Amino acid sequence: MGSLSLAAVRKAFGDTTALDGVSLDIEDGEFFTLVGPSGCGKTTTLRTIAGLESPTDGTVRFDGADMTGVPTEERNVGIVFQNYALFPHMTVRENVSYGLKFADPPAGTTVRERVDELLELVDLPDAGDRDPDELSGGQQQRIALARALAPQPDVLLLDEPMSALDARLRERLRRQVKEIQQDLGVTTVYVTHDQAEALAISDRLAVMNDGRVEQVGTPREVYRQPATEFVAGFVGENNLLRGTVTDASAHLGAGGDEDGEDERATMDPDAVIVTVDGTTFTVTPATSGGDHGVGDDVTLCVRPEALTVDAAANRFDVEVTTAEFLGETARYYAEWCERTVVFRTPADHEGTVTVGFDPADARLL
Amino acid sequence: MDGGRIAERVGVPLAAVVTLSLLVVMFFYPVGIVLVEAVVRDGAFTTGILGEILGSEFYFGDFARATRDPSVLWESFPDYELGLFGFTVYQALLSTIASVLLGLPGAYVLARFDFPGRRTVRSLTALPFVLPSIMVAIGFIATFGKNGVLNTVLRALGLPTVELLFTLQIIVLAHAFYDAPLIARVTAAAWESVDARRTETARSLGASPVRAFVDVIVPQLLPAILTGALLTFIFSFMSFAIVLALGGLELATVEVWVYHSVRQLDYATATGLAVLEIVFSLALTYAYLRYEAQQRAGGAARPLPRKDLFGPISLDRVAVFGYAVVATLVFVGPIASMIAASLTGPSGFTLEHYAFLVDRQATAYEFQVKPLTAVQNSIVFGVGSLLLAVPIGVLLSVVSTRGFRGRKVVDALAMAPFAVSGVVVGLGLLRGLVFGIELFGYRLTVAGPVAIVAAHAVGSYPFVTRSVTPLLARIDDAMLESARALGASRLRVLLDIELPQITPGVLAGTAFAFALSIGEFDSTVILATGGSGYTMPVAIERFLGRRLGPATAMGCVLLVVTSVSFVLIDRLGEGSGFDG
Repeated sequence: MGSLSLAAVRKAFGDTTALDGVSLDIEDGEFFTLVGPSGCGKTTTLRTIAGLESPTDGTVRFDGADMTGVPTEERNVGIVFQNYALFPHMTVRENVSYGLKFADPPAGTTVRERVDELLELVDLPDAGDRDPDELSGGQQQRIALARALAPQPDVLLLDEPMSALDARLRERLRRQVKEIQQDLGVTTVYVTHDQAEALAISDRLAVMNDGRVEQVGTPREVYRQPATEFVAGFVGENNLLRGTVTDASAHLGAGGDEDGEDERATMDPDAVIVTVDGTTFTVTPATSGGDHGVGDDVTLCVRPEALTVDAAANRFDVEVTTAEFLGETARYYAEWCERTVVFRTPADHEGTVTVGFDPADARLL
Repeated sequence: MDGGRIAERVGVPLAAVVTLSLLVVMFFYPVGIVLVEAVVRDGAFTTGILGEILGSEFYFGDFARATRDPSVLWESFPDYELGLFGFTVYQALLSTIASVLLGLPGAYVLARFDFPGRRTVRSLTALPFVLPSIMVAIGFIATFGKNGVLNTVLRALGLPTVELLFTLQIIVLAHAFYDAPLIARVTAAAWESVDARRTETARSLGASPVRAFVDVIVPQLLPAILTGALLTFIFSFMSFAIVLALGGLELATVEVWVYHSVRQLDYATATGLAVLEIVFSLALTYAYLRYEAQQRAGGAARPLPRKDLFGPISLDRVAVFGYAVVATLVFVGPIASMIAASLTGPSGFTLEHYAFLVDRQATAYEFQVKPLTAVQNSIVFGVGSLLLAVPIGVLLSVVSTRGFRGRKVVDALAMAPFAVSGVVVGLGLLRGLVFGIELFGYRLTVAGPVAIVAAHAVGSYPFVTRSVTPLLARIDDAMLESARALGASRLRVLLDIELPQITPGVLAGTAFAFALSIGEFDSTVILATGGSGYTMPVAIERFLGRRLGPATAMGCVLLVVTSVSFVLIDRLGEGSGFDG
C-alpha cells in the first residue's frame, strides 16, 4: 500500500538546480531518511513526493502509479513540518480531525473515536479541548503527528520535525515516532540535517549533497562503508588522510609487529600500502572500496574510535592539543604532520601519544 | 494542475485588476485631473500657475522675495515672513514638537508602570485615529472658547480670562491631542521591546543607570520617536478641519487655502496649490515609509520590568501624577467640555440644543441641514464606503503578502492615499467625476453622494490593508500545505484555514473604515454642496457658523456613533494590526 519511487527527478528553481537527478526506491513500511547539509535538496525531495513541488523532469510513483499532476490532497500523504503548522484557530481535536473531513475514519470507528485513538497514540489523551498555543513545542509536534496520521496516509512525510526541540526531548520524541511508525507500518520519509539522528532512527537512509544522492544504505552500511568522501566526512566523525598508493601487493608483515593482527593480514597478499606525508599505512582490501593501483591519489578514512593507543599496526606519534571529556569516553584533538587528527578513548592522555589502527578498520576512497 | 490552482492563478490577478481599476477611477484619475489642471491651460502645457504661486510672497513670504533679492534672507533673519506655505510647515513643526513633548511621558508611563486599566489606556491611544476632526475642533472651542469651560473656571476663580480661539497655540494643542497618543503608542511599543538583558549587560560593564538608559534604551527608542514625529508632521501639515475651525482664514494653511479657493471657484489656484502640497506630502510619506520599513519589529525575550504606579511616594510617581493631570485636561477636557456644552445654556442645564436638532428636522427649509438626514447620510455613506474599502483593502493585503516582482509597487499604490489630503481627493473627484468626464462623445457624471462614498473608501482602505496584512503574513505556507496534505482542496484551505485567521483583521478594518467614513470631513465638505450629501461632520460645521450649542449637540451624536465603532474595533481586532 505504500512503496514509492523517484526516477531521475530534477527540479530547477529559475537558474538554480535544487535536485539534479534523484532516484530512490522506498519500500512499503520502511522508515527512510533523507539526510544532508542545508541546501542539499532533501526538503525539495520531500516536497516533490508530497506534490507541493512538481518536478522539472523525472517521475514520482506511488505503488508504481505515476503521480505527475496529482495534487497533494489526492496523494494520501501525511506531512509534519518543523514548525508544526497547527491551525491556531482550531482546538487540538479540530486539528486532528481536520483530515477526516476528506477521508473516512477506519471502518467501525467514528471520527471522535479515531481522534481519541490518535491522542492516545501520541500520549496526549486529554489535550483534545485545548488550543494549540497552550501546548509546549514537543506536545505541538506530537499533535501535528497525530493530525497527519489520522486519515491513515499511505506515506508519512516528516520535514525536520524535531529540529526546534531541545536535545533530550528530541531523543525521546524520536523514539516515540519510531515506535509509532513500527506499530502502524506506515511508509515514512524523514528529512533531517542531523546525521546522528538519521543513523539512530532509519531503516535505510540516503545521504544527499548538492541536489544528488551520494549513497543509499542501512545506517551500518553508510557508517562503515561510506561510498564517497562526502559521506565519509558527513556521517559520523572521520579522519580523512590524503595520500598515495605506494604498494598494492605487499605483505602486511613487512612493516608491522609480529602478532595476531599481522597474521591475518599476512595471509592476504593483496593488502594496499598508502603513504601519507612519508608515513606508510596498510589497509586490507575488504575495506579499500575498489581497485587501487600504485600511484593513485587516495583518501584514507579512519574513524576516531578506530584510532587507539593499543592498536598493533599503523602506529604513529601525535601531539595532543585539546581534550574533551565526554563522560563514558573522551575526545582528543591531536596534531600530526600539520593536520588535526581526532581519536576517542576513555583513558587520559596528554603530550605525545602513539596511536594506530587495525588495517581492517580503515577505508580507502 | 487542478481546478483550485487554476482558479487561484486566474482569480487573484483578475480581482487585482478589478481593484486597480476601481482605484484608478476613485483615486488616481481624480488626483491626476488635479495635476493636469494645474499645468494645462486651454489645452497647452504651462507652468504659469505653479510659477505664480512659487514666486508669490503671499504663499512663500520672504523666501519668494529671496529669489529676486537674496539679501532678504539675512536682513530679516530670524523674523521671516513665512507666507502660507511657510506657516503651514511652521505650525506642523510646532505641532510635532508639542506632540513629542506630550507623548513621551505617556510612553514612559505605559511602558514602565503597571496600574489598573493600563491596557484600556493603551487601547485608547488608538482612539484619536477615529475621532472626527471637526468634533474635536468643537470640543476645543467648547473648552478654550471665549465662553468655554476654561474661561468659566477662570472667571469663577476671579482670574483674567484668556482668548485662545483663532490662535496658533490652540491649533498646535489640537494637533497634539491627535498625535501625542500616536507618539506615546509607538514609543511605548519600542520601549517594551527593549531586552532587559541589554541594560543589565551595560550595567555589568560599569554603566550607571542613567548611562545605561542613554546608551542602550535611547538608541532603541529614537527610531520609533522619529517615525511617530514624521507621521505627526505629515498629519499636521495636511490637517484641515482643526485649522479651519480653530484658526479660520487668518491662520490658513495650504489645505485650508485649497478649500477656500474651491469655495471661491478659483480652481486654478486650488489645483496649483494642491499639486505643490502633493509633491511635498508625497516626499514626506515616501521618507516615512522607507524609514518605517527599516525598523525591525520584535518582542523582547525579557522586557524591562514594570513598576507599580501605586506605591510609596517617589519623585517619578509624583511626576507621573502631574502628567496624568495634564493629559486628562488635554485629552478628556475637550470631549467632556463638548458634552457639557451640549447640555448647558445661559440658565444652566438644558436640553434645548437637542430640542433644536429635533425641531430643525421638522421645520428645515430645503437649503438647511436636517439633523436626522445627516445621520442617515453618514450611515449610508459609511456602509457604502466599507462595501468598497473592505474588499479593496483585503485584496491588496493578499497581493502584497505574495512574493512577486512589482510587489513594492502595489504596496506603494496601496498606501498612496496616505499622502494625498482629503481636500485634494475631494477636489479631484469634484473636477473629475462630479463635473463629468468626456468619453466617446458622452459626458459621464457621477452624483455627489457617489463621489463622497468613493472618497471615503479611498481614505479608509489603507487601514483595512494595514489591519489584515499582519494576520495574513502570519499564516505560513506549512499550515496551508498541511491542510492540502490532509485532503483539503485549495478552496477548502481558503475557507477553513485562511479566512478564519484573517477574520479579526477584516472585522477591525471594517469597523475602522466605518468610523473613518462617519467622521470624514475634508473631502465631504467639498463634495457635499447644497442640499444633498451632507453628513454629520458637515452638519456640525454648518451649525457652527451660527451657534455653538446645536453644533455640540450634533457633535455628541457623532461621538456616540464613533464610540460604538471604536468599541467594535477594539473587541474584534485582537491580534490584528491595531492590537496594542
